[in-house]
Amino acid sequence: MPDIGTWVGAFLSLAILTFLYRDNPFFRFAESLFAGVALGYYIGNQTNQTIKPNLVLALARDFSANWDLIFAGLLGIGLYFRYIQKVAWLARVPLGIYVGYYVGVTLMQKLHGEVLPQMKDTILPLSAPGLAAVWNILMVVGVFSVLLYFFFSLEHRGALGVASRVGILFVMVSFGAAFGYTVMGRVSLLIGRLNFLVNDWLRPLIRAVF
Amino acid sequence: MRRQLPLVMTFIAGIIPVIALFSPHPIVVNIAARADRWLVIVYAFALLLGVVSVVQSNSRKIARRDKGWPYAVVLLTGLTVMGGFGFLGNFGIFGGITTTPDGRPTPFQWSYSNVFLPLQATMFSLLAFYMASASFRAFRARNLAAGLLMVSALFVMFGRIPTGEAVPFVPMITEWIMDNPNAAAQRGIIIGAALGAASMSLRVILGIERSHLGLGRGE
Amino acid sequence: MHLVDRLLATDRRIIYLLVGLGALIPLLIPIGLPVTVTPPVRSAFEKIESLPAGSVVVISFDYGPSTAPENDPQAGAVMRHCFARGIRVVGMALYPLGGLSVAVEEINKVAAEFPVTYGVDYVNLGYKDGAQAAMRRMNEDLHELFPRDASGRPIGELLLMQEVRSLKDTDLVFSFATGIIGEWWINLVNAQFGTPVAVGSTAVGTPKYYAYLKAGQAVGLLGGLKGASEYERLLSDHYPDVARIYESPLLYTATQGMDIQTIVHLVIIALVLAGNILYFTSRIMRRSSPGGRRA
Repeated sequence: MPDIGTWVGAFLSLAILTFLYRDNPFFRFAESLFAGVALGYYIGNQTNQTIKPNLVLALARDFSANWDLIFAGLLGIGLYFRYIQKVAWLARVPLGIYVGYYVGVTLMQKLHGEVLPQMKDTILPLSAPGLAAVWNILMVVGVFSVLLYFFFSLEHRGALGVASRVGILFVMVSFGAAFGYTVMGRVSLLIGRLNFLVNDWLRPLIRAVF
Repeated sequence: MRRQLPLVMTFIAGIIPVIALFSPHPIVVNIAARADRWLVIVYAFALLLGVVSVVQSNSRKIARRDKGWPYAVVLLTGLTVMGGFGFLGNFGIFGGITTTPDGRPTPFQWSYSNVFLPLQATMFSLLAFYMASASFRAFRARNLAAGLLMVSALFVMFGRIPTGEAVPFVPMITEWIMDNPNAAAQRGIIIGAALGAASMSLRVILGIERSHLGLGRGE
Repeated sequence: MHLVDRLLATDRRIIYLLVGLGALIPLLIPIGLPVTVTPPVRSAFEKIESLPAGSVVVISFDYGPSTAPENDPQAGAVMRHCFARGIRVVGMALYPLGGLSVAVEEINKVAAEFPVTYGVDYVNLGYKDGAQAAMRRMNEDLHELFPRDASGRPIGELLLMQEVRSLKDTDLVFSFATGIIGEWWINLVNAQFGTPVAVGSTAVGTPKYYAYLKAGQAVGLLGGLKGASEYERLLSDHYPDVARIYESPLLYTATQGMDIQTIVHLVIIALVLAGNILYFTSRIMRRSSPGGRRA
């Protein structure tokens, strides 16, 4: 016989699946429960895995070496001032630091980790032996035509128009591949759920009953 | 001050990781390391901001008996129970939030496996049905571009299953599509998006873009 | 209403039923279709094959329950490969909504299949906030970033972690990612620190990772459930002990999932083709009907 946890999981899974027929109270109940449990998960996860070990215990263990973490804690708490009308403006300071830091990291990440390596690999020999030359030309033409397609500062006319039309064809092939993989991904999720319902719930139930 | 101070702090916080990438000077390295440590903690607090907003809005819904208020009760109950297990786990109550030393799941982990996981996994599995419906009703090869999209999609869907892999040339064509036109287009998109993100990041650091602080252009 | 138009207006619930049956029937009656290995997966497999026993691989659980059916088999296969080769595993999670819990479940499940000891052969460092900030710290001091493991044990007590102080002491990072975190491993950790990175991505994210793979920024790529099934095939071919694990009737494998994937894909391909055939037939019929040209 399936255990109580499996019964709960099966009930909730079926409640969500009823939405395929139409909206109903079981689905709305499950949907609301999901939202609540997800936020509750954040509370446990964030406090137990980061705030406790990296802030609270670090300060308790060795205050002299970690005293600067008090400022990190204050910045974190400062974010919540937005909910207090009189001092809501103070929340902009930790928010500015938080956003500023991450955009600074992103700036370097994007240029150093994406633009440069990808451009480097696009500088390909156009006189390679055999079909490799053809594929290299295809790659170079594809990358530049797609980049030109996304360049909206000039009207897409003349040579730029032709290049951007070639670019859109490459983009369509890529989106087709993405669609195919997306179908694969969504179906995999369905397989996972059906496997649980059939092999973890229904089969043990039938075996126990019959 | 209310406008300038956050902008100045944004600039300072943004410039630290940029300089740290280029400078091995001990002071720069030390400041960058401290910034990394701090932001790990601030990130955790930031993720919990949503909890406060949701509790506020749903409490108001219940107090005013707005339409659908019983579901707000369900939401807050789920939040309280799961959050309670998680928060109390910090004090060793119930054995934490993962597993007890003898391998049994704690209430938090049990709730994850039997409530959260089935709910989220099933929510996402509905998409398979919607994709199938959209494939039949909306996927039309009306022009060359759409036709290319369809041919590419059909090759990938067929070429990535065992049946398709048994058909001569199909796996080769599928892999070629992924390795050549797809990689080229994705590369163009990656470079374009990266340049856009980098320029937006620069605008935020320099204070030209201020919407994240709730300030308009002229403020 | 003509038959063609009636078919085009088929109730969406009938399509849902077709998909549901297409998934249910092969689940109840397995087919056992063979899996072919593609170059990106082989590349990831060979990278781990090239690592000697005692090497350290970081396995990052950057996904949650929403994509667990795809990423769990991938993570399981790679961990089984590591344990079969005597490679030590440092587990962690950077995905906030469920990463910790999937890491706990998957690591415990796979470790129970091998004669490995926690703290010596593998550890689970748990979840950490900060995303890119955490990755930057990892390259300098893992112990400061993860002072305790997932269960709250001080990290210094773990024998494996006494040798691993930072990412510089590891040989490979394998990220199983549902979204952008896999890209961060590539464009931050690999680009700035040179650590080799392989990715097990969801099928939705796979087309994008081909660009990184081609540029040499990733050493291997597992794409969705298909990628997991290919890795399982390679493992079964090279490691008979692992093949026996995959033959267990209690274990759900990606290879079994591919049977169902095949039928549902064929259903959806048929739906795409049928939809287009019916649409164009309807258009032709409208054009050739007496009022059609005027309309």
